[in-house]
Amino acid sequence: MADFSLKAAPVLGGLDLSIGQCKLVERTDIALISAAVPLDGRTAFEARLKTEWNLDTPSPATSTRAGPMRAIPMTADQMMLAFEPGPTLTEASVHAALDSDAYTTTQTDAWVILELSGAGATTALERICPVDLDAEAFPVNGAARTTMEHLGVLIVRLGTDCFLLLSARSSAQSFLHAVEISCDWTAP
Amino acid sequence: MSQQNRIDGGQIDRTATLNFQFNERWMTAHPGDTLASALLANNVRLVGRSFKYHRPRGIFSAGSEEPNALVQLRKGAALEPNTRATTIEMFDGLYATSQNHRGSLERDILAVNDLLSPFLSAGFYYKTFMWPRAFWEKLYEPIIRAAAGLGRLSGQEDPDCYDKGFLHCDVLIIGAGAAGLAAALAAGRAGLKVILADEDFRMGGRLNAETFEVDGKDSASWALAALAELSAMANVRLMRRTTVYGAFDHGVYGALERMTDHLPDSGGKPRQVLWRIYSKRAILAGGATERSMAFGNNDRPGVMLAGAVRTYVNRFGVAPGRNVAVFTNNDDGLRTADDLRAKGINVTRVIDARKGDVVVNTTGRKGLHTVFLNGDRHVEADCLAVSGGWSPNVHLTCHHRGRPTWREDIAGFVPGGELPPGMAVAGAAAGTMTLAATLSQAHETAASIAADLGYSGATGAPPKADDETFATAPFWHVKESKHRAWVDLQNDVTTKDVTQSHREGFRSVEHLKRYTTLGMATDQGKTSNMLGLAVMADASGKTIPETGTTIFRPPYTPVPLGALAGRARGKNFRPTRLTPSHTWAAENGASFVETGAWMRAEWYARPGETGWRDSVDREVLATRQSVGICDVSTLGKIDIQGRDAAEFLNKVYANAFLKLPVGKVRYGLMLREDGTVYDDGTTARLGETHFVMTTTTANAVLVFRNLEFARQCLWPDLDVHLISTTDAWAQFSVAGPNSRALMQEIVDDLDLSNEAFPFMACTDCTVFGGTPARLFRISFSGELAYEIAVPARYGDAMIRAVMSVGKAFDLAPYGTEALGVMRIEKGHVAGNELNGQTDARMIGLQGMVSRKKDFIGAALLDRPEQVREDGLQLVGLRPVVTDVILTAGAHFLSPGDPEDMTHDQGWMTSVAYSPELGHSIGLGFLKRGAARHGENLRAYSPIRGQDIMVKVCSPHHLDPEGVRQRG
Repeated sequence: MADFSLKAAPVLGGLDLSIGQCKLVERTDIALISAAVPLDGRTAFEARLKTEWNLDTPSPATSTRAGPMRAIPMTADQMMLAFEPGPTLTEASVHAALDSDAYTTTQTDAWVILELSGAGATTALERICPVDLDAEAFPVNGAARTTMEHLGVLIVRLGTDCFLLLSARSSAQSFLHAVEISCDWTAP
Repeated sequence: MSQQNRIDGGQIDRTATLNFQFNERWMTAHPGDTLASALLANNVRLVGRSFKYHRPRGIFSAGSEEPNALVQLRKGAALEPNTRATTIEMFDGLYATSQNHRGSLERDILAVNDLLSPFLSAGFYYKTFMWPRAFWEKLYEPIIRAAAGLGRLSGQEDPDCYDKGFLHCDVLIIGAGAAGLAAALAAGRAGLKVILADEDFRMGGRLNAETFEVDGKDSASWALAALAELSAMANVRLMRRTTVYGAFDHGVYGALERMTDHLPDSGGKPRQVLWRIYSKRAILAGGATERSMAFGNNDRPGVMLAGAVRTYVNRFGVAPGRNVAVFTNNDDGLRTADDLRAKGINVTRVIDARKGDVVVNTTGRKGLHTVFLNGDRHVEADCLAVSGGWSPNVHLTCHHRGRPTWREDIAGFVPGGELPPGMAVAGAAAGTMTLAATLSQAHETAASIAADLGYSGATGAPPKADDETFATAPFWHVKESKHRAWVDLQNDVTTKDVTQSHREGFRSVEHLKRYTTLGMATDQGKTSNMLGLAVMADASGKTIPETGTTIFRPPYTPVPLGALAGRARGKNFRPTRLTPSHTWAAENGASFVETGAWMRAEWYARPGETGWRDSVDREVLATRQSVGICDVSTLGKIDIQGRDAAEFLNKVYANAFLKLPVGKVRYGLMLREDGTVYDDGTTARLGETHFVMTTTTANAVLVFRNLEFARQCLWPDLDVHLISTTDAWAQFSVAGPNSRALMQEIVDDLDLSNEAFPFMACTDCTVFGGTPARLFRISFSGELAYEIAVPARYGDAMIRAVMSVGKAFDLAPYGTEALGVMRIEKGHVAGNELNGQTDARMIGLQGMVSRKKDFIGAALLDRPEQVREDGLQLVGLRPVVTDVILTAGAHFLSPGDPEDMTHDQGWMTSVAYSPELGHSIGLGFLKRGAARHGENLRAYSPIRGQDIMVKVCSPHHLDPEGVRQRG
C-alpha cells in the first residue's frame, strides 16, 4: 500500500473577495445531502425531521432551518439538507438518522456553494437571476431552483442582503465568472 | 458666434458648457441638450443626406421618431452608425459625423441621384438591372451594394460590453409623460411595485416641451415635482434612458436601458442593459407621434414637425429658425405660433389647411428659404413647422397581433380590442389627446389596477389641468402640388411612389411597404406610415381603416445586436465544465477538446512528439502494454434509489435489470419509444434499493430528463427517486494488463483477484488509507480495467497520487483520442454509431433485448425496416493495402458498381489508426454485414476523393473473445 493520504481541495480554492458593495465567499464548510421521501412515506419522514433536528419540511419556495440544519426544497418529494458538520453532526450521522425514512445521497461534492452578501448583492443578482428577489416576494429563507447564465442554480436567501448560491461543481469557474462580473458591473 | 440660435428658457444647465464635434467642427452645448438641439443652437441645419436621392436633410423631429438626422457617433471601433441626433444626450467631447454621402456633406457626389430621380422610382432596380445577365453579380450587385445603406460599420470588434437582466414589478408604466407620471403617482401611492420607464434622459415627455399648467405649476415644474415624489418611494423604480421595445408573452416586456451612452467613457461598465421585465400589469403611456403632410419639396432642412419646434423652443431654449412659418391642420399646431411669439421669434405666416390654405412647394437647397402657398403666394421662412395631426403610439399594443382601430375624431388609429394580456393604455397612446383627460384617465387606470391587485392604499387625487383645444381635420396630401412630395423621409418614398405601386398592383399595405420600402429602417415609419396609408387609401378609393396598417413587431426602436448578445461573448459565450483532474492535466501537457460543455484532455503531448498521432499512439500502446489512466468523470452519473428502483430500470432498459445482484454492474441499452438506441451505459447495484447509472457524456442531461419524465408521468406509482451525481465524483478509468497490480496499491484492504472481484463487479471501498471511493470493474478499452471514483474534492489529489504510484508501472495518462482508438479496436459503439437511426440489431446486440418484459421501445422493435433481411449491421473494416488511411463517411460499394445511391451498401462510421495492428481500422454499417466478413468492398468517398478497397471483418479488431477484460 502506497503511503499517501488524499487532501480535499475546494473547487474555487476557498474564494473570499469583495467587489464593490458585494462580498463573495466560497462556503467550504457546508455539507449537502439530498433526501428523497419514499412513496407513501411522507408522514414518517416529516416526523423524522422533527425528532432528529426539530426541522420542518420546506414548502416549494421556502427553506426551513432549525439549529445547524437547513432543508432546501428541490422537487415535490426531494430536498437538500445543508449543514455545517461538527463533532456529532456528520454526513454519516445524517445518512444514518434518515436511513429508514428517506433515500439519501451525499451531494457535498456535486456543488459549488457561494455566499453572496452586501448592499450590492440584490442589484448584482438582477443581472443573472430571473427570480424576483424583492424582499416580499423572496423573503429570508426563500429558496428557488433557477438558472443563471445557462447554469442550474439553487438560491436561498439567508438574510436581507445575503444569498446562498449552489451550482454545479464542474462549471464552478463559469458560475463564479457570472457572479463576479455581475458584482463588478453593478458596483457604484 | 457660438450657439447663435440659443434663446432664453429651457431645461438645460447653462452653468456648464460642453464641447463637441460634428464633422470635425468644434461647437459648444449645455448639459440637457441633445445633439440635435445643440446643432440647431449652433445654426447647423444640414446634418445628413437622404437614403436614395442624397437630398440635403436636416432635423425633423425631437425624439426617437427622427427619420432624417441620422449620424455616426463616436469613432474608431466604438463608431455607431445610424444614430438619431434627436436622442443623443450631449456629453463633453462628443464626436459625431454625418453619413451617407460621397465627398463632403455639403458637396455629395451622389446628389446626382436626385437628378436621376425620374428613373429611380419605387422598384426601379427590379426593372432596370435585368440585362445583360452577366452583369448581375459582377457589376450591378457590387454597385448597388456600395450605394445602399446609410452609415458604415467600423469593421472592428465592438469595444463596449453589454449585459442583460431581470426585473419584476406589479405594474410597468411605459412612458413618463403626463399619463405615465400620473399613473405612476397613483400606483406608487397605492403601494404597488412600480417600474416607470422612459426612453428620454429627462422624464416628463411633452410636459417638458409645452407651456401647460398642472396643479398650478408650469408643466415641466410639475413633472419635476412628480419625479421627486416618485423618487422618494421605495416601491417605485425610475428607469430613464430605457426603451420598452417589445411586449412578449405572460406579461414579459423587453427593455433596453442605455447605461453609459451619455458618458464620455463607460468606465468598463456595460454600455447598455437588455432587461426582461416581468409585470403583473402594464400601462402603456407612450404618447403619440406627430406626423407631417405631403407637399412639394417637404423634405428640406428647416421643414420640421410643429411639436418638435415647440420642444426645441420650450425645452432646449433653441430657436429652430428666426422666421418661422406654421402649416397645420389642427389646433395643436396653432399653439406653435403662440409659443414662438412668446419667445420673440418671428412667425411669418400661419397656414391652416382647414381654411383652404396649403403649402405647394418650398425652395432652398441646403436649408429652407421660401414657402410657396396655393394662390401664387409665398412667404420667406427658414423654418416651416408642420403638423398633420398626432398618431397614438399603438405599437406595443399590437405585438400580440392585435389590430388598432380607427378613430375619425382624431384621425388616427387607437389600440384595438385585443391588447396583450395585462396591458392597459392611457393618455395620447389611447387616443386621449388633451392634458386634463390624460391625467385623469391615467390616474383612474392605475387606481383600477391597484384595486385589482388588492392594494388598498390611497392613490391621492388626480393632477388637475385644463383640456387644451384639439380639433383636427384629416388632411394628408396637397394634391395641387406639382413637385415631389415626400411621404417617408428616411427611405425617400414620395406620394408618386405610393400611387405608382398601387397602379402596378401592389394593393396590400404589406406589399406597398415591401415594394416602396415605406416604413422600413430605423424609424419604422413612425412619422410616415399614416401618411402613406392615407395616400394609398386615396389612390385605391378606400378609407384608411379599410386600407389597414402593417403589422407592428418588436423592437419599437432599434436594439443593438451587442445588447441582444449581452455578456455572452468570446470565451464567455457559454459555460464550460472542467473535470476534477483539469488542473493536473493542464500542467502535464494536455490538449483539451470541447465535448459538450466539458473540456476534456484529448491527448498529453510529451517532449519529442511531433504531432497528435505520436501522443495518441504512445498512449494506446502504453495502456495496452502496461496501464493507462483516463479521467471519465464526464460520464453522466445518476443515483437511483427506491423500493421499486430495480423494476424502474427494468422498464427503461431494453435488457433485464430486475435480478442484477448487489455488487454487480450491467451494460444497458436504452431505447426511444420507436425502438431506436439513444444511449448506452452501465448501471451498478450498490444495494437492494440503490443503483448508480452511468450515461454517455453527451446524453447525461437527456437521460436524466427522460428518467424523470418516466418516474413522474409514466410510472408515478413506483417508489423511485433520482438525483444526478455526475459532478459529485471524480472517476478514473485505469486500464491495461497492469491495472490490477496498480489498483491493488491504491485501494485499501480489498482483494482484487479475478475470483474475488471479477469482471463487472462493483463495491464501495476506500483508497489511500481511508478516502471513500467506489470501484467498478468495467472496461471500454477492452483491457483488464477498473473505474475508481472518489468524491470530487479529492479528484486533483487522486490523480497526482495515482500517477505517483503508477510510475512503477509506467502508468500513462490517456485522453479522448486514445480512448476513441481503443474503443474502435474493441468494436464498442459510440456516438458515431448511435446516431439516432440505430437499433439493437444493427449493432449486434439484439440478443440483449429482452422479449419477456415490457420496456420503453418494446412496442416498435419489429417494424418492417428493422427486420428487413438486408438490414444494416455493424462490421469492422480494414484496408486491403495496409498503408492506406480509412475515411469516416465513405460509402461501401461492390467492386464494379456505379457510384450511386442504388448501389450504396452502407457507410464507414468510425476510423482510427491502430498502433497495435499497425494500420488503419474502421467500423461501419453494411447491408447483411454480419454474414460478409472476409468480403472485399470499395470504400468510396467523393467528398475526399478517395476510392479504396477494404476488407470486411469482425467489429472486434482486438481480443474478440474478451479474454483481456475478463482476465
